Amino acid sequence: MTLEALVAIIAGALVSGSLYALMASGLSLVWGTVRMFNFAHGALVMVGAYSAWYVSNRGGIAKALQPIGKSIVASSEDSGALGSLLLPLGEWILSIKGGFGLALGVPFAILCCGLVGYIMYVLLVKPFVGKPGADLIVIITTIAGASFMQNGVQVIFGPRYKQLDRILKGPPLQILETAIGLQEVLIIILTPLTLFLLHLFLKHSKLGLAIRAVAQNDDFAHLVGINVSQIYPLTFVVSSILAGLCGVMLGGLFFILPTMGAQELLFAFVVVVFGGLGSLPGTIVGAYVIGFIRESSAYIIDLYWAPVVLFATLIIVLIFRPRGLMGGEDS
Amino acid sequence: MTWINERLNIRYAIWALGIVIFLAIPHVVDDKLLMHLAILGMLYAIVASNWDLTLGYAGVFNFAHLAFFGIGAYTSGILAVKLDISPWLGIPCGALSAALASVIVSIPAIRLRGIYVALLTFACSQLVLLLLLSQPLITGGQQGLTGVPQLQIGDFRFRESRFAHFYLVGLLLLCSTIFLRRLVTSDFGLSLIALRDFEEYAVARGIPLARQRLLAFLLSSIFPGLAGGVYAHFLIVASPDIFGFSLTTLLLSMVLVGGVATIYGPVIVGVVMTYVSELMASSAWMSDVFGISRGPVRFMFVAVLIVLTMRFFPQGVWGLVKQFSARVRSSQKDAPEEPAQMR
Repeated sequence: MTLEALVAIIAGALVSGSLYALMASGLSLVWGTVRMFNFAHGALVMVGAYSAWYVSNRGGIAKALQPIGKSIVASSEDSGALGSLLLPLGEWILSIKGGFGLALGVPFAILCCGLVGYIMYVLLVKPFVGKPGADLIVIITTIAGASFMQNGVQVIFGPRYKQLDRILKGPPLQILETAIGLQEVLIIILTPLTLFLLHLFLKHSKLGLAIRAVAQNDDFAHLVGINVSQIYPLTFVVSSILAGLCGVMLGGLFFILPTMGAQELLFAFVVVVFGGLGSLPGTIVGAYVIGFIRESSAYIIDLYWAPVVLFATLIIVLIFRPRGLMGGEDS
Repeated sequence: MTWINERLNIRYAIWALGIVIFLAIPHVVDDKLLMHLAILGMLYAIVASNWDLTLGYAGVFNFAHLAFFGIGAYTSGILAVKLDISPWLGIPCGALSAALASVIVSIPAIRLRGIYVALLTFACSQLVLLLLLSQPLITGGQQGLTGVPQLQIGDFRFRESRFAHFYLVGLLLLCSTIFLRRLVTSDFGLSLIALRDFEEYAVARGIPLARQRLLAFLLSSIFPGLAGGVYAHFLIVASPDIFGFSLTTLLLSMVLVGGVATIYGPVIVGVVMTYVSELMASSAWMSDVFGISRGPVRFMFVAVLIVLTMRFFPQGVWGLVKQFSARVRSSQKDAPEEPAQMR
C-alpha cells in the first residue's frame, strides 16, 4: 500500500467517522437518557439538510418570495404614504434572489431540527413512556415518523436532487500528493469542536448535568428536584440538532434527497452497537473506528463489499458481546 | 352447554359462507385491477399474519421478516431464470431457503433482548439486500430480476385465467391462516405468550426460551417464503424494493391496525390496506384535491394510521371486534375476555 493510499484512507475515515460520530452521539444520548431508540434519526438528518438548503439556496425560499416582493413593489407604486414605507421592503425582497446563504441556513436548520425533534417527542414518544413494552412501541412509531417525514419532504420539495453550497471554495488541499476537498477538511475540524461543545454542555451546564443525572438514575434525579419530564424532550432536541448538523455537512458533500439519512442511520446503528449504547465516549471512538474499517475495506476489498463487512462485524459483535463492544453490563 | 354448540355451528357457518363468497368473487368481479389487487392483498396478508406470530405472540421485533419474503421471491426467481427449474419446485425451494435464513437470523437473535433484536435483524435484512445488489449478474442488481417465468401447468398459463392465481393464493392464505391459528392455540402458542408476558416465571416453569424463540422465527418464515415465490412468478419480477422501508412500514401497519396477537386481524386488514393504499395511489381525486403527486401521500397516510393505532387502540381492529363481541356475550352469560395487549 502506498503512502498516498494511506493518507486517502485516513482522510476518508476521518470524514465518515465525523459524520457517524455526530449521528451516533445523538442516538446514544437519547438511549442513555430516555431508554428509547429513535429510528427517525436518519430522517432528522434529511430535515436538517433540506431546511438549510431551503434558506440558503436561490431555489428555496428566495424563489418563493419573488412574486410576493413583486406584488409589494407593484402595489406600493400606486398607494400613498403606506406605499413609500413598503417599497424598501419589496425591493429588499427582490434583491435576495440568491438566497440567504449558509450563515442563515445553518441556524435555521438547527432551529428546524430542534423543533421537529420536540414535536416528534410529543407525538411519538411521550404517550408511551412508562408503559410496558414502550421500547418496542417507540421503534414502531418512530419508523412511522421517519416514513412520514421522508414522504412529506418528497411531496413538498419533489424528487429532484438538491445540493448545498460549499462553505469554503477553492482548490483542494494537497497532503502528500493526495487531494482532500476543503469541505472534507472543514468537516474533519468542525466535528470534534461540536463534540467538544457537547461535552462542555453535558459536563458543566446545569441542563447538561440534569441530562446525565436522569441518564444515571431517573428516580433519584426526580428526588433531587430535577424535572424529568422536561429533560426527556430536551434530550430529544439536543440529539435532533446533532443530526441536523450532520445533515448540513452531508448536504455539502453529496446530493440531498428524501432518502438520504437512511444509509447513515444504518452505519450509526453499527457504531452505537459497536461502542455500546448509551456510552458517549465509546460511541465517538466507535464512530472513528467504524469509519476506518469502512474506508479501508472499501479500498482493499471493494466499494460494494464495505457495508457487507461492516454488518458482518456488527452481527459478530452482537453474538459475542450482546451489549456492545465497550458497553457495560447494565440492562 | 348448548350455547357452545351453537357458537361452534355459527363459526363453521361463517367459514363456509366465507369460502363460498371467496369462490364466487372471480365470477362476479370483472375488473382487472381489482383482481390484481386482491391477489396482491392476499399475498401481503400471508406475510403480515405470519409476522404477527413473532411480533404479536413472541413479542420480538423481527425486522428481517420481509427479508424472508424477499428470499423466497429471489430463490424461486433465480432458480427459474438461471437454472431453468420449474416454479413448482422453485417455490418450495424458496420456502426452504427462507426457513434456513430464519434459523441463521434467530441463532444470534435469541440471545439478545428488546432493542438489540431489532438492531440485529435490521442489520441482517440490510445485509441480504446488499448481497443481492452486489451480485447483479445473478440477481439483476438494482433493476431487479426480470423475466421470471409465469406459473403454468402443462399448456395452461396462470396469467391468462382470472381464476388461477386468485384460487392458488387464496388456498395458500387459507392454509397459512389455519396453520397459524392452530399453532397459536396449541401448547406451543401458549408457551410463547407465557414467555412474552412473564419471561422469568415461564423460564422457571421449564419453558425453553431459546428453542421456542427459534421455532417461532422458523415457523413464521415458511409461508412468507412460499408467498414470496408465488409473488415473483405472479409479477414476473423480483425487485429489491421488497426490502425497502416503505413496504416494511405498509406491512407493519397491517399487523398493528389489524391487531397484534390475533392472526385474523392482519389477514383481513392486510387485504383491505392493500386496496386502500393502492387505490389512493391510482385514484384521481387525491391529485385533484391536494394537487400533488400521490405516491408519497399514501405512505404518509399509512404512517399516521400506525401512530394513531398505537396511541388510541393498541388492540387493533380485531381486538375491538373481540372486545365488542365479548361484551355482548357477557351481557348474556360469559365473563369478558381479556383484550390482546401489545408488549
